[in-house]
Amino acid sequence: MNSEKDILRTAPGTMADIKMKSLNKSFHLTGLANGFVSGLTYAIYSTLVVVATGYDPLASAAGILAAPFVCSGLNDFLAGIWLLIYNAKQGRLRELGRTLRTKPGIMLVIGFLLGGPIANGAYLVGLGLAGAYAIPISATCSLFGAIFSWIFLKQRPTKRVVGGMVMCVAGAIIINFVKPEGAPNFTLGVIFALVAAIAWGAEGVFSSFGGAMIDTDVAVNLRELISGLVVLIAVLPFISGGIKLLGGTLVAGISVAWLAIAGLSAAISFVCWYKANSTVGTAVGMSLNVTYAFWGVLFSVIFLGQTMTPTIIIGSIVIVFGAILVTMNPLDLFKHGEE
Amino acid sequence: MLLPVRTAVLNHLYKVGRANVEEIMTALEDDYGQEKQFTKKLYIDHVMALEANGLLELENYDLSEKEELQLHYKITEDGKNTVVKYVDKKYRVA
Repeated sequence: MNSEKDILRTAPGTMADIKMKSLNKSFHLTGLANGFVSGLTYAIYSTLVVVATGYDPLASAAGILAAPFVCSGLNDFLAGIWLLIYNAKQGRLRELGRTLRTKPGIMLVIGFLLGGPIANGAYLVGLGLAGAYAIPISATCSLFGAIFSWIFLKQRPTKRVVGGMVMCVAGAIIINFVKPEGAPNFTLGVIFALVAAIAWGAEGVFSSFGGAMIDTDVAVNLRELISGLVVLIAVLPFISGGIKLLGGTLVAGISVAWLAIAGLSAAISFVCWYKANSTVGTAVGMSLNVTYAFWGVLFSVIFLGQTMTPTIIIGSIVIVFGAILVTMNPLDLFKHGEE
Repeated sequence: MLLPVRTAVLNHLYKVGRANVEEIMTALEDDYGQEKQFTKKLYIDHVMALEANGLLELENYDLSEKEELQLHYKITEDGKNTVVKYVDKKYRVA
């Protein structure tokens, strides 16, 4: 390889500058595109999971927990399989075992247990009980992420972050101002969505223990596989009727097909989200990702017949802007644009 | 057992302080060279992700003899602390 003296040193404004500028530009654009795709595909995932629960035996399942956890277990497991195929193509399968043997890898896994079985399960219960209203509520996870960083990592929030937090809370209150008709467990659904947001916020804290040294494509693969397997093997047996419903769903097939597509959307969403974070920074990446709240509500209105009310529209827009404010200074977007 | 590649890239920079992507790949070739993931594209991904997380810093850039852009990185204080804290001592010895 080139030693120091083999390298042709170039003056500013030369070919090296032009190539560097073009590399930076393409990384920035790819990062923004990834962030946007991550938000869109997360909304597609959220919508398709609801479609999957519309078929028997999931549609007529008793209790509020069995159907969402069968869905979340199958969805995450199938997403994990999609990611295994992707990582095998890249020649990265060995990285999974290597990562699990490192300290940051173990910390990430603890976080995955919060973000996978707990948060994703609660999110799907929330979607089942409160419909599209659960989507923007779950987007308040950046609020909880900031609170946990404050408590555990001693990162004091700035005035801007506090402003964003207040907006998140205000948006959640607006959404709950008018309860939709025909949703008897609406408030319970919103509470489950909040549990999801809290667990996702806490998951982020565990990635601060050296998680930056781990390839995110590998981390996401572990997350989905571990989450899916834990739900299917360790959680479902403790939910009344859980295993029977899982068997029935697998035999019926149609819901599994929808969940396979939902799992693919979730897999693409996570890979793109982390790629966006590592190219344009977590703040911009997360802000683009959180637009899923907006798209999710939109898709639910278009494809699932969710009633559109002024409170859900205003509330979700307020939460999206609040979440963006928590993670970044919106003025930075314009600065990046000038580069 | 080998370290995960991204960790190995940071660990290499911990040992040598500064290096460009080609130099990093040469140093890790014995361990990882046989794997399908040993591509320049993925190694650029690794250094840029480590840079985005504040563990590496782009020091300068120039063109190689083949007119290819070369990115020269150095490890940051955060990067050094992360290696000391989370990478087992046996991997850290040069």
